[in-house]
Amino acid sequence: MLVHIPGPLLSYTNGQKSLDLSAKSLLELTQKLDEKFPGIKFRMIDEQDHIREHIKIFVDKEEVKTLETSLDATAVVHITCSLSGG
Amino acid sequence: MPEPDKISEFSPSELARYSRHILLPEVGSAGQLKLKKARVLIVGAGGLGSPAALYLTAAGVGTIGIIDDDAVDLSNLQRQVIYTASDVGQLKANSAAARMSALNSETQIIALPEKITAANARQIIGAYDIVIDGTDNFSTRYLVNDACVMLGKPYIYGAIFRFEGQVSFFNPTAGCYRCLFPKAPPAETIPNCAEGGVLGVLPGIIGMLQATEAIKWILGIGDLLIGRLLLYNSLPMTFDELKIGRDKSCALCGDNPTIKALVEENIVCASQYSDKELTSTSTSTSTSNTISARELSQLLSHDNAPLLLDVRRGDEYILGNLPDSVLIPVDELEMRLDVLDKDKDIVVYCKSGARSRRAEEILLAAGFKNVRHLTGGIMSWAQEVDPSVGVR
Repeated sequence: MLVHIPGPLLSYTNGQKSLDLSAKSLLELTQKLDEKFPGIKFRMIDEQDHIREHIKIFVDKEEVKTLETSLDATAVVHITCSLSGG
Repeated sequence: MPEPDKISEFSPSELARYSRHILLPEVGSAGQLKLKKARVLIVGAGGLGSPAALYLTAAGVGTIGIIDDDAVDLSNLQRQVIYTASDVGQLKANSAAARMSALNSETQIIALPEKITAANARQIIGAYDIVIDGTDNFSTRYLVNDACVMLGKPYIYGAIFRFEGQVSFFNPTAGCYRCLFPKAPPAETIPNCAEGGVLGVLPGIIGMLQATEAIKWILGIGDLLIGRLLLYNSLPMTFDELKIGRDKSCALCGDNPTIKALVEENIVCASQYSDKELTSTSTSTSTSNTISARELSQLLSHDNAPLLLDVRRGDEYILGNLPDSVLIPVDELEMRLDVLDKDKDIVVYCKSGARSRRAEEILLAAGFKNVRHLTGGIMSWAQEVDPSVGVR
């Protein structure tokens, strides 16, 4: 699946804007992201496994609110982050 | 053909000026009259506000308010195209209004060179039909959103970061900015504008998309970005559209709202915190040791001066740095610790203090004992010690 990383988190992914990963759920995806880019999960997910309130995650353009969300192989995941600049 | 009954509402010069609009069947003289009667407020006369203000003025919006309490800085001219070099040092609202009036004397421009606050937001926003959010900080963004929801005003959201931007249209009955992002990121993770950087043309694109939405809403044409978050990335040159909506649990516009009055949240980026505040709010358990520019200046005049460690990027370093400083960008610091002497006093600095604090934490975690960071970074050095040092 294709995972889009927002600008404020690109410092974790060595500037990689899009990643090709496989995972059966959003939880597994965030774990895989963290294995590959240590620390990135904590920027998106809090200690109670909730998506942080300045982060929104979309699967196939629809917002998802829980890490239990299942993912299929062709899913497109957008991780978005609130931006302050103007 | 233009509608004859509306043509009389325009002077010959207005008809000539707006002829390319009036020729559009979707606009016509009736639409142009809607624009003439419309009142738009632009909050923030920066990167987003500049293009929005110019295009709305050119389009013939009847009344435009522009509010900003900041002054024009030379570094603004890279993207805030409403200003010229002669405006540097002038209040943005006044300079922008002068440029807008010069562009179109038919439009009434209201310059508001003040900060929008919880105390004045209702009165200011209440005088307009629609609000364009051109703010550059979360505190004002949430305040303006909240005021718009409470007043039932449509709010056109725009925000940028480096190469990417977001746009949406929030109608109070269909969700708000807090439905999208209930809270701002932790302060220590928010880069300020000076440190985050931005591609100059980016706010132009996002600000013009916001202006487009305003014009469509006034005219009642097209499909607004209601329920849609538009993401733009200038590097791959992509637009993505995501579905968003009202959140029933939203603290502002949800089923059981808890926010019932306007409150200014003090959300600032890391480098705007005093060190005491940063230590108390940071998730880090380390203690921050700081030194002011004046203290550092005195220290450097003595024997056993500390090592100055610049943790900015190389391109920033080349434009100006402190004498005898060593450059190791903060992102490379952990890999290059071996070049530093753990027994040496070290003063870390960056542009305004955020990256140097991160660097200080890295050094302390690696066992360095005598580490301080320069409060306010090289910008404070330029202000307090040596104005000739380059900090662009």
